[in-house]
Amino acid sequence: MARGEEEPFVGLIIAVIVAACTVGPWLLSLVATFLYQPRKRKVLLERETQAALKGDALTTLSKPFGNREIKQTKMMMANVVMSPSWVQMAIGNFMSLFGGQINVFTKVVDWARREAQQRLREQVAEEGFDEVINMRIETTMLTSTRGGKDKTSGVEILAYGTAIKY
Amino acid sequence: MTITQSLGVVTGSTVRAKNVFKDIGAAFKNMAGGEIKAYTELLQESRNEALFRMLNDAAARGANAVVNVRFATSSVAGGAAELLAYGTAVVAQ
Repeated sequence: MARGEEEPFVGLIIAVIVAACTVGPWLLSLVATFLYQPRKRKVLLERETQAALKGDALTTLSKPFGNREIKQTKMMMANVVMSPSWVQMAIGNFMSLFGGQINVFTKVVDWARREAQQRLREQVAEEGFDEVINMRIETTMLTSTRGGKDKTSGVEILAYGTAIKY
Repeated sequence: MTITQSLGVVTGSTVRAKNVFKDIGAAFKNMAGGEIKAYTELLQESRNEALFRMLNDAAARGANAVVNVRFATSSVAGGAAELLAYGTAVVAQ
């Protein structure tokens, strides 16, 4: 009799554990996508705005403007690895059935590129350089192998250039 | 400073794989999206290694500077990444 009373209770616990293992990560992913990520992007936008007030330090020119004498040069680089969340991957995979622009992926890659450039700007300002010339951006897909299939786990953006001091 | 002599192209490369523990941490972070710090640091370290090897190559040729340095990265299967740094070794005075 006692055994019969226990069973629904044990079943309930198992059901809760199973639910936590299957739905839990997705719920966490959903929260991260719509709360955590926008907050991070907002912080980045603020940093960018701060940097933009002084004029953009990055250029892709091979020589700086004007005839000012350059006192010091140094190669600098900044990188960042970004990955889309599960929810974004799911939305992206679904949207790729129809083709066209896939907004969720655009957002992640754009974010990563801006972050890398902003880090380069901050690094340059921190070390007392005035400008970066010949800046280049490099993109790499990072993959991880799961079950014999290559799965994209992130995208790496590297921004590098020559920092100069007048 | 003027470049007096060109000593040809120098390269440095390294292939790095992430370790299992970092992979597990990254898999969790993957759920949430955004930056994966473990990978950012790993790639930074490996890139410095590639750069260092390139500079060693240049020093062995008797150069005192490397100009027009470029980076190239390719991901080899199995989660490993190959990082290559290359440039022109020169003597500058």
